[in-house]
Amino acid sequence: MSDNVDTGVIGFRGVLLRGVAAGGVAGLLAGLVGLFVVEVPIRAALAVEEARAAAEPAEAGGHDHGEMFSRGTQVFGGVLAAVIVGLAVGALFATAYAGSRRWFAGRPPFGRSVALAAAVFGAAALLPAVKYPANPPAVGDPGTVDYRTVLYLGVIAAGLLVVVGASGLASRLAHLGGPVRAAVVALAVVAAFVVILLVFPAPPDAVPADMPSDVLWEFRLASLAETATLWLGLGVVFGLLVDPAARRARTAAVAA
Amino acid sequence: MTSPAHPLSVAVPRWAYAVALVALLITWLVLQENGVALGHAAESLHEFFHDGRHALGVPCH
Repeated sequence: MSDNVDTGVIGFRGVLLRGVAAGGVAGLLAGLVGLFVVEVPIRAALAVEEARAAAEPAEAGGHDHGEMFSRGTQVFGGVLAAVIVGLAVGALFATAYAGSRRWFAGRPPFGRSVALAAAVFGAAALLPAVKYPANPPAVGDPGTVDYRTVLYLGVIAAGLLVVVGASGLASRLAHLGGPVRAAVVALAVVAAFVVILLVFPAPPDAVPADMPSDVLWEFRLASLAETATLWLGLGVVFGLLVDPAARRARTAAVAA
Repeated sequence: MTSPAHPLSVAVPRWAYAVALVALLITWLVLQENGVALGHAAESLHEFFHDGRHALGVPCH
């Protein structure tokens, strides 16, 4: 305990920098999933959009995704978006990690980090993906995009509140045994998620009939793979960077 | 090996909230901005990050 370097006590600046670094790595990994996995159904969806445009040449005011930037630029923009978002959520994640005293208190930092990332993935990616599944291009109605954005952000906010509430509930139930406490908290989280799924209104847009359902679902699962890579990658890399056990192992490996 | 110390939390300084706000703003610009802050320039931003917005599950048109 006397050796601060060995027990890995790092200040907030160190935690924040590790969060940004972990976010950059996770964002790049997510961007690569986007490049090699999500782009496949996006290409198929854009083919549907082009077929639609070819069938209705009179639509002069129509919105054409291919006009302002080339496809290559947009594909690059997709990877860059994941990297920038990764850096930003890495900073937010590190701040939440540093401030969350009660979150799996007493567990090693690696486990705390992965558990926090899994919880945020569940609340901010999986929950909205169940209620408002991601859609490829050529599905959403431009007229409802603001309404859909409000619903989507509302579900994320509600999900994150459930995570905060679950953490508070777990620390309140500290007198119960581990398994009982975990079961009670898990039941409460499931109940809260079910209420959220029931209370929020259904997605306003119907999927157009010319969008093949296999393209639609390939895209939705691929999108979920990208967000899972972002969040779980962030939790694992950040956990490795802050956990003194991992740092000790690395120091030992260097010394050996 | 002795049981390692797990410092429960790191004190969050006040400037951290400014950093968090900037991080939220960046996320907003990349994923959500459709004209609220930037007006017409938002369209280029939207189109450039278009694939990323769709791929990360954000509502889009």
